Amino acid sequence: MTSIPIADVSKGTKLLIDGQPWLVLEVNFVKPGKGNAFYKCRVKNLITGNVLDKTFRGGEKVETADVTDVEVTFLYSDANGFVFMNQKDYEQVTVPARVVGDDKDFLLENMECALTLWNGEPIQVRLPNTVTMEIEYTEPAVKGDTQSRVMKPARMKGTGVTIQVPIFCGIGDKVQINTETREFRGRAEK
Amino acid sequence: MSAPSWRPRASLEAQRARAERLQRVRAFFAARGVLELDPPLLQPGANLDPGVQPFAVQPAGSGGEVRFLPTSPEHALKRAVAAYRCDVWALSPAFRAGERGRWHAEEFRMLEWYRLGWDERRLAAETLELLAELTGWEATRGEWLTWREAWQRAGLDPAAIGDGEGLTRDERLDLLYAERVEPLLGRGRWTVISEFPPERAAQARLRPDRDGRPTAARFEIYREGLELANGYHECTDAAELAARQQRELALHPGCQIDAVFHAMLAEGLPACAGVAVGFDRALALALGRPALAEVLW
Repeated sequence: MTSIPIADVSKGTKLLIDGQPWLVLEVNFVKPGKGNAFYKCRVKNLITGNVLDKTFRGGEKVETADVTDVEVTFLYSDANGFVFMNQKDYEQVTVPARVVGDDKDFLLENMECALTLWNGEPIQVRLPNTVTMEIEYTEPAVKGDTQSRVMKPARMKGTGVTIQVPIFCGIGDKVQINTETREFRGRAEK
Repeated sequence: MSAPSWRPRASLEAQRARAERLQRVRAFFAARGVLELDPPLLQPGANLDPGVQPFAVQPAGSGGEVRFLPTSPEHALKRAVAAYRCDVWALSPAFRAGERGRWHAEEFRMLEWYRLGWDERRLAAETLELLAELTGWEATRGEWLTWREAWQRAGLDPAAIGDGEGLTRDERLDLLYAERVEPLLGRGRWTVISEFPPERAAQARLRPDRDGRPTAARFEIYREGLELANGYHECTDAAELAARQQRELALHPGCQIDAVFHAMLAEGLPACAGVAVGFDRALALALGRPALAEVLW
């Protein structure tokens, strides 16, 4: 456990507050000319995603959380969870299903992701913003109508997730999907 | 590791504006017969102001005598006032540890001056003229509020605020003042705050207000929610000042009293008023820059 002066906290610092790891999103220094100083921090819980404002006194010491980000490659999933390989040391890390959550829908073999570790334990997987997936099944494509806003469901190869795609898409087409909004972003280059 | 960014944050345009405003300040004081001084930066003791943390410096290597960087040029300029018996001003580097934010920096320039025989109201009026010179905004477009009236503007009564939420009363007052009161001050005009409570006197003298309650002869000037100036009808009571400094010393670990400054006070600071203006803040506001860093360096 490491303590640092609150003055050294900046955007991106990871703090340990009430036994939980928090990411500092924003720091505001507040101080009347001759008076007490305060640091108003917007922090995000790295486990629950909750965001809140915390006020610290100037001169206060805060504890940092041992949080690191590592680049990993997704290998496979099994009964214990999702197995990734650390790109630096080639060690395998098993991430429990509850940590991966709904992101499992976009996890394809050999996908490069960022894994957040807290005290060496995985607490968050961050996927690329966009992934390319292949349509495994959808209703037949409507030819020619490439400007259409009309959507239809399509099942993706690999994970079986169903995404809304424009009606001009057909089986075997590769599409780009925003992993945050779970929305179709465009057709991938063939 | 990428190489550190070596370019100054301030644009060339901002630097030119700074140089030009500095000329205006020089002309302002020259026309008024106030002497420009260049105060020393290594002080034998620390400025001891509430909530302001100085830097202690030492020779590199084997240690040696600790000295203190000024948090404002106050000690040197008051010694000059006492020694030369004339009005003095300086635009001088000031250092405040841990003050890093949009409108705070650990190193900045303080524009400070002293007027012999003046009180804080007369000096506040002159400060408005200086600020008008710096920013181009009319000096006469201003309002005068007491500290209590400033709180009322935010719908708050400082007397009704106690401790709570893990903060002392004093801390809560500062936090509420910074968050709720300050943003309402100086909108589209100058706001001069005066008649501070005695516990917020800092270096100001005390005197009875209209209702006979002791009040601190201190003022602050705000523009667009930002404090730009802080001035006092200076307290000259050496014993009272020594007592205030001893109280503050307890809150400033690692600091020591400036014995040279106190030797001057013991002999007698002449009656005067002094004010410190955040030169960089005024410049940033005047140029419409959204942060201090854009005009500093």
